[in-house]
Amino acid sequence: MDLRPFETDNSVSCRLSSQIPDVCQTEDCCLGIDEAGRGPVLGPMVYGICFCPVSKKQELKESKVADSKTLSEAERENLFQKLDEAKSYLGWALQILSPNTISTSMLQRTKYNLNALSHDTAIGLIQYALDSGVQLTEVFVDTVGPAEKYEEKLSKLFPGIKVTVRPKADSLFPVVSAASICAKVARDRVVKGWNFAEDLGEVDVDYGSGYPNDPKTKAWLLKYLDPVFGFPQFVRFSWSTAQTLIDNKGVTVHWDDDDEDGEKAAQRQNNRSMLAYFSSSAGGNDQNPTHRFFTERRLKSLDRL
Amino acid sequence: MSCNTSVTRVDVSSVGQAQRAPVHLLPCEIEHNGPAQVSQYLTATTKDCKLEKTVSFRGRGLKGQELSCPQGYTGLVLKEINKPGSDQEDRTVKVSSVFDKLTYWNLETPPNSDDTIVMAMDWPELAEAIHGPVED
Repeated sequence: MDLRPFETDNSVSCRLSSQIPDVCQTEDCCLGIDEAGRGPVLGPMVYGICFCPVSKKQELKESKVADSKTLSEAERENLFQKLDEAKSYLGWALQILSPNTISTSMLQRTKYNLNALSHDTAIGLIQYALDSGVQLTEVFVDTVGPAEKYEEKLSKLFPGIKVTVRPKADSLFPVVSAASICAKVARDRVVKGWNFAEDLGEVDVDYGSGYPNDPKTKAWLLKYLDPVFGFPQFVRFSWSTAQTLIDNKGVTVHWDDDDEDGEKAAQRQNNRSMLAYFSSSAGGNDQNPTHRFFTERRLKSLDRL
Repeated sequence: MSCNTSVTRVDVSSVGQAQRAPVHLLPCEIEHNGPAQVSQYLTATTKDCKLEKTVSFRGRGLKGQELSCPQGYTGLVLKEINKPGSDQEDRTVKVSSVFDKLTYWNLETPPNSDDTIVMAMDWPELAEAIHGPVED
C-alpha cells in the first residue's frame, strides 16, 4: 500500500487502489465495503472496498479475515499482507477522506453531513470498481444510518447488483472484513505518519487513539490549540470536542452565515434588529443616504477611528 | 461627530522605515487585535492553483486571490502608539507596515470580478475623474 499520493497533499480526498485482477473482469464478483475512523476527532476517515470472484468466497473465508476491530494492529498488518498476496484474484481500493475534507464539508454553507459524505464515498468506490471492469453481482455493505433505506438507495443506483446492507457486516461477510482491514491499516498508517502542513516544528505524536474521550487525545488537543487558528488540519473542526475547546480557549470568530440572532448580533453587525423599531429613536431617517456605488463596495468615508 | 473636536493625524514620516508585510483579508470577523501565527498556519497550508488559492480557516474552506493596490497607491497598516485618555485628545497613528498587494479570501466562493474588494479598487480612478483638475 503506497500512501504517497495522499501524503503529498493530505488536505484533500485521495483514492488508492490495487491492480485489478484479470479474473475479476471475467467472472462474477462480490464486493465488500467498510470504513475506518468514523468517530475520532483526529485524522482521516478511510473507506475501503475489497472484491473477488464469487467462486473465491470460500478461499477468502479460510484466510481467516475477521472484523478489523477485534484484531490487534499487528494482526491487521499481517492480514493485509495476506490479502495483498492474494492479488491474483483479490482487489481493493480506498478513499481517504482527509480531516480537512471532513471539516470543510460538514461546516459548508450548505451543510454536507457525515452520512451523506459516507454514502457518496461508498457509491463512488462501487462506481470505480464497475468502471474498472469488475463484473459485480453482489455488494455487501456495513451500514451507515438505517440499513433498509441505505440498501434501497444502493439497489436503485446499481440495478442488476444484489446489494446487502447490514449492521456489523464486517463480522458477517469475509469480503467486508477484508475491506475493513484495508481501511483500518491505511488509517493507522496515515495517522502514525501524519505530515503536518503547518509550520509547527517538532510535533508531539502522542495523540492517543484520536477518540474524543481518550485523555491523551484531549491533552494533545489542548497542547496544540492556537487561539486564532484553532487547530492544525489534522483535527476535525466539525467535531463538538474541537468546537467546544475553541469556543472556550480561542478567540471568537464571526461568519456572515452564523445563525446568531437578536439585539447583540445586530449591534455587532451595525444594523438594526426588529426590536430597534419599537424604541424611541425609531424611524430616524438618514437625510443623506450613501450612493449604491459606495455601499456595494463597502466604501465609507472615514471621519474618526 | 460634531461634539468631538479631536484631530487624528497620520504620521507619514514612518513610511520610509515601514516593512512590506503580507496582508490577508478574511471573510469573517476575528475578535482579536494582535499578533497571530499567520505564516505557520495560513501561509504554510495555502494551495496555489491556476485561478485561485485555497486554504481553510477554522475548518471552513476559503478561496482567494491576490489583488494589487490601484496604480500609484500604497496600502498602509496604521497603528496607534499612544492611546488617548479621552475622546477629546488628538490622536496620532503611525505607519507600521506597507503593502502593494493583498490576498483576499471568500468563504467557499471562487474569487471573481464582482467581489466587493475588487470593485472597491475602481474608486481611486473614478475619484480622480470626478475631483481631479479639469484639462481643456
